[in-house]
Amino acid sequence: MQQLFAFLKRFRIFLVFLLFQVLAISTYVQYLNFPKSQYLTSASYFGGKIYGTRYEIMKHFKLEGSNKTLQQENSSLRKKSLTNLYQINRFKFQVDDTVYEQQYDFIPGLVINSSTDKVNNYFTLNTGELQGVERGMGVFSQKGVIGVVHNTSAHYAVVKSVLTKDINIDVLVLPVGLYGFLKWNGADSKRGSITGITNDLSIKKGSRVVTRGGAGVFPKGLLIGYVEKLIPVEGKPLWEVIIRFSEDYRKLDRVYVIKNLFLKEQNTLENGIQPDNKRQ
Amino acid sequence: MAVIFVQSFRFILFVLFQLFVFNQVELGFGIHLLMCPLYVFLLPFETTILVLLFVAFGMGFFIDVFSNTYGLHASSLVLMAYFRPYIFSLFAPRDEYSFLKNPTYMDMGHLWFFSSFGTLLLIHNTWFFLLESFSFRGLFYSGQKIILSFIVIYCLSLLIQRIMIRQTKK
Repeated sequence: MQQLFAFLKRFRIFLVFLLFQVLAISTYVQYLNFPKSQYLTSASYFGGKIYGTRYEIMKHFKLEGSNKTLQQENSSLRKKSLTNLYQINRFKFQVDDTVYEQQYDFIPGLVINSSTDKVNNYFTLNTGELQGVERGMGVFSQKGVIGVVHNTSAHYAVVKSVLTKDINIDVLVLPVGLYGFLKWNGADSKRGSITGITNDLSIKKGSRVVTRGGAGVFPKGLLIGYVEKLIPVEGKPLWEVIIRFSEDYRKLDRVYVIKNLFLKEQNTLENGIQPDNKRQ
Repeated sequence: MAVIFVQSFRFILFVLFQLFVFNQVELGFGIHLLMCPLYVFLLPFETTILVLLFVAFGMGFFIDVFSNTYGLHASSLVLMAYFRPYIFSLFAPRDEYSFLKNPTYMDMGHLWFFSSFGTLLLIHNTWFFLLESFSFRGLFYSGQKIILSFIVIYCLSLLIQRIMIRQTKK
């Protein structure tokens, strides 16, 4: 026993050091994958409050730009409105509302804190659980996809952005229709890459890259970026497709959180497959 | 008592500046303005290592909570604090450290400051960026980040000392 105390006394500094290191690194590893609580992130009440206040002050500097993008969005939405379309065949054309059912709900939000130069980048939004935001929901802006909700509190949410290493959004390269996974290399906030694209079909530079919508997180067809370069993967019949993001992640302001109203249905349906397979 | 007051004030100042100024500046080329190592370095010579570790962890923890880095700053600051006494004794002047002086370049000279702060900052940056990328794959890019950040942080550190701390009278 005495020896133990002597040992502890002798190495107490190193032990304290070790304790702190283990504490810090374990939270780092744990929170990177799955945040247990919101208290250690900027979604916490206090952190959100501070960034919210800063946003309140800084938002005035962004007014012009954000008004412009809102106006553009308005005009493009106006173009799609039925009242502004010319009806060619007036006898057969019929709008039947029961044909359509709303699948996606969009919750507007503001980015109050963001980073783009780290290896894993996050955004803090000023909308949270009270507005219906949940972990795993997709987030996009007028110009493109932003990321996936990582963690929420009552009033705030932290979004894991496209600029994280393991974002893995399934994407579609138009018009050929090949699909792969979106990756980010941790360095350039303007470019990302797509893996899993076979090289038997030719892809033109400048092709649009959109979401595939397979996981039910994003609707199909949300713009992510444009193809910039094709790099052959050594020893495999694959391209590594370098894309240029359509959104400038350094200037984010107004975004929308996607609530898929059918997600539960899709998940129960997809999860229902597994037990059946096991029984056979 | 006055020392504790001054250091607490400086602590808050460093955290606030790190969060609202340095974290918002994006210079590109992978340069991060991590000014918190300077605070740990500038703590008085007589600070015991246990206090150093506590303060470093506290500061890192605060910054982590508000910038979604989950323990990254805390880990690298604690590592740096742990090495500080060893580096200090390694570069100790011939007639030992005087408690009347501060560990600034004005008091201790450029050579001493460069060798001790430089070594500690290098340790800190290396740990920080390797832990951040969590692999040795992007080693070249991590190396670029470590070196470029080192240069910018070092220059800024000189400036901050000049502005913030008065030279001890001889």
